[in-house]
Amino acid sequence: MSVGTSLTQDQSRAIRLLGVPFVYAVLLLAVPLGAIVLFSFWAQDFMAVDTTFTLDNYREIADSPIYAMLLQRSLMVSGIVTAVTVVLAYPVAYFISFHVTPSKKSLWLFLITIPFWTSYLIRVFLWKVILGYNGVINSGLIQVGLIEEPLTFILYNVNAVIITLAHAFAPFAILPIFVVLEKIDRSLLEASQDLGESRLSTFFRVTLPLSMPGVVGAVLIVFIPTVGDYVTPELMGGAGGKLIANMIQTQFLQLNNAPLGAALAIVAMLCVTAIALVFVFLNRRWLRGRR
Amino acid sequence: MTDLIKLRGVNKYYGTYHALRDIDLTIRAGEFFSLLGPSGCGKTTLLRVIAGFEGVSAGTVMISDRDMANVPPNQRPTNMVFQSYAIFPHLTVAENVAFGLRKRSDIAKSARAGLVEEALEMVALGGYGKRAAHALSGGQRQRVALARALILKPKVLLLDEPLSALDKKMREHMQVELIRLQRHVGITFILVTHDQEEALVMSDRIAVMFAGEIGQMDDPETLYRRPKSRRVAEFIGKMNFLPGQVTALSAAGEASSGAPLAGHAPGTVPPNRTNRLLTDLMDKIAPGTEANADTDTAEEAAASPEVMTVDIAGLGAAQISVDQAPEGAKLGEVAVGIRPETLAILFEGEMPKRHECPGVVDEVVYYGDMTYYDVRIKDVPQPLTIAMKNLIGRPVLEVGAACRVAWDDRALVLF
Repeated sequence: MSVGTSLTQDQSRAIRLLGVPFVYAVLLLAVPLGAIVLFSFWAQDFMAVDTTFTLDNYREIADSPIYAMLLQRSLMVSGIVTAVTVVLAYPVAYFISFHVTPSKKSLWLFLITIPFWTSYLIRVFLWKVILGYNGVINSGLIQVGLIEEPLTFILYNVNAVIITLAHAFAPFAILPIFVVLEKIDRSLLEASQDLGESRLSTFFRVTLPLSMPGVVGAVLIVFIPTVGDYVTPELMGGAGGKLIANMIQTQFLQLNNAPLGAALAIVAMLCVTAIALVFVFLNRRWLRGRR
Repeated sequence: MTDLIKLRGVNKYYGTYHALRDIDLTIRAGEFFSLLGPSGCGKTTLLRVIAGFEGVSAGTVMISDRDMANVPPNQRPTNMVFQSYAIFPHLTVAENVAFGLRKRSDIAKSARAGLVEEALEMVALGGYGKRAAHALSGGQRQRVALARALILKPKVLLLDEPLSALDKKMREHMQVELIRLQRHVGITFILVTHDQEEALVMSDRIAVMFAGEIGQMDDPETLYRRPKSRRVAEFIGKMNFLPGQVTALSAAGEASSGAPLAGHAPGTVPPNRTNRLLTDLMDKIAPGTEANADTDTAEEAAASPEVMTVDIAGLGAAQISVDQAPEGAKLGEVAVGIRPETLAILFEGEMPKRHECPGVVDEVVYYGDMTYYDVRIKDVPQPLTIAMKNLIGRPVLEVGAACRVAWDDRALVLF
C-alpha cells in the first residue's frame, strides 16, 4: 500500500467522521443564525419582506430610546440575577464539597436537581402563588400581623422576575462551583493554616482564588440565557417588568416586523458577547496560574 | 540538648479504629528525628497530631513546655512539608515562599523580599521567584515547600514523606541536602518515612512504628545492630532468623578463663599475615577494628557482666554477650538473627575462620556492587542470605556451587 492511498484513506475517514457533525452544526447553528443576520438587513413592507439591503432597522434601534432602555433593563436584571444566584450558590456548593461526607455527595447533587423535575412554567406559576397579592407570603405576613396591607412590590415587577430566575438557575450555578471546589487539593488548605492563616483567611487566600474558574463559569452559564429569557418577564414582570426579549417577541409575533426583531436580537447578542468575552478573559487570567 | 516536644500517653481513635496507642515520645531541640514504619502504622497520623491537624483522643502534646491541646495549626511553632508539597498553584514561586510572612508582624514588610530571595537561595532556587509554581519539577517543588516552611523559622519542621515522589538519584541527592540544611538552620526536623534506608541515612534518632505503637526508638546504629524485636529487625535491613537454644549462662570471668570459643582454632591465623578477606569480614562486623579479633572479643567479654552460650541449629555453639539478647536472659528456645553482611563466604584458599561450615549456593542475586547469595547449610531450616562485596578478583559463585560460610559470635542478635 502506498503512502498516497493511505493518506486518502485517512482523509476519507476524516470526512466521514466529521461530515455528520458538520452538517448538524451548519443546519442547527449556522443557518438559523445566518437567517437572523440576513433578516436584520431587510425591511418589512406591510405583509411582504423587502429583501433590499438596508440599515434602517439598526438606525431605528439607535434612534428610539425604548430599545436602549429595554436592553439596559435586561442586562441589569440579568446582572442582578447572576450576582444573586452565584452568591447564593457558592455556600451551597461549598457545603456539599467540604462538609458532606463523600458517600452522600451524589445524593445532595441529586436533591438539587429536584426543581427540574417539573416544567419551568409550573415553577413560575408556583412563584406567582407564593408572591401574589393574596399569596403565601402576603397572607402569612398579614396573619402574623407584621403587615396590614399586602406587599405589592413582590409581584408583577422586576423584583419578581429576579426572584424567579435566581431560583430557576441556582443548580446551574451550584454545579460548576462544586466541581472546582472538589478539585482543590485539601492539603493546600492545610498548608495555608500551617503557614499561619486562619480558616477564614485561608478561604480568601486559597479557596476563593482557586475556585474562580467555577465562579466565572457559573456567571456565564446564568448570565447568557437570562438575557434572552422572555417567559419569566412575560408572566412575572407585569407592565413595568418587560425586557428586551419581550420586545423581540412582540416584533416577530404581534407587530409582524421580523426584520426589526432580528436586528434587536443581533444587538442583544452582541451585548452579551461583549460581556461574555470580558468574563472569558477574566477566566483566562485565573486559569493562567493553574494547570 | 533540651527537650522540645513531649508526647505523653497519646492515643488516637478514628471511630473504633485505634490509630495511635499510648505514644510516649520526647524529641530534643535540634534533633533530626524520624518516624519510620510500614504504611498504615500511624506515623503520618502522629506527625499530623504534632502539627495540630488531628486532635488526640487521650494524652498530651507539649511543644516547648506548652500544652498544645487547644492550639490550632496556625498558632503552633511547627511548619510542615507536605507529601504532595501543597504548592499553591495560583501563586508564583516567590508568592508561595512569602505566603506565611503575611501574618508575621515581627518581620518588616520591606525586609520580606530579601528574606524570600535568601530562602530560595538556601534551597538552590535563587532567581526562580517569578516563575509560576506549576512550571516546576518535582524536586523544585519540594525545595519551594522547604523554603516556604523554613522562612518562618519554626521550632520544628515536619516532613511528611518528602522524598517519596522523587526518583532514586534525586532522592539520594535530596537526602544529603536535607541533612546539610538541617545542620545549617539548626531546626528540629521530624521526618516521616517508610524507607528504612532513608531513615538510617538521615536521622539522629529513629522511632520505628507498627500498628500505632512505637516498636523501638534508638539511634540508627543501635537500631540496626541491636534491634529489640523480630519485627524491627525484619523491617530494617535484611536478617536471617535461625532457631536456637540458650544452653548456658555464665559470668564474664568464667567464659574468658574457660574453654576456647566454640569453633575457634587457635594458631591457625598467623597474626602478621595480611589477609584481605579476614580484614573485610572484621570490617563488616566492627568498622575500624583491624584483624585481631581475639583480644577484641576478650575485652568485650570482660566488660560485660554475663555471657551466654547459644546452640544454633546447623551452625553450632556460640558465645555471646547478654547485650546481644533481650533483657532477662534465660535458658531455652530463642530466635537467632544474623544480618546477611555479617556472614561471609570464604573463597578458595582463604584461611579458616573462627566459625565456619560448608554450604551450597541456592540462589544468586547480583546487584553490581554486591552479590546476595542464598546458601543452603546442612541442618539449617532455610537458606541463609549472605551479602558479599564484589571486590577485585572475587568471583561470583554459581547456583549449586559448594562454599564455606564464616560467621562471628558478635554479629548475632537473640530474640
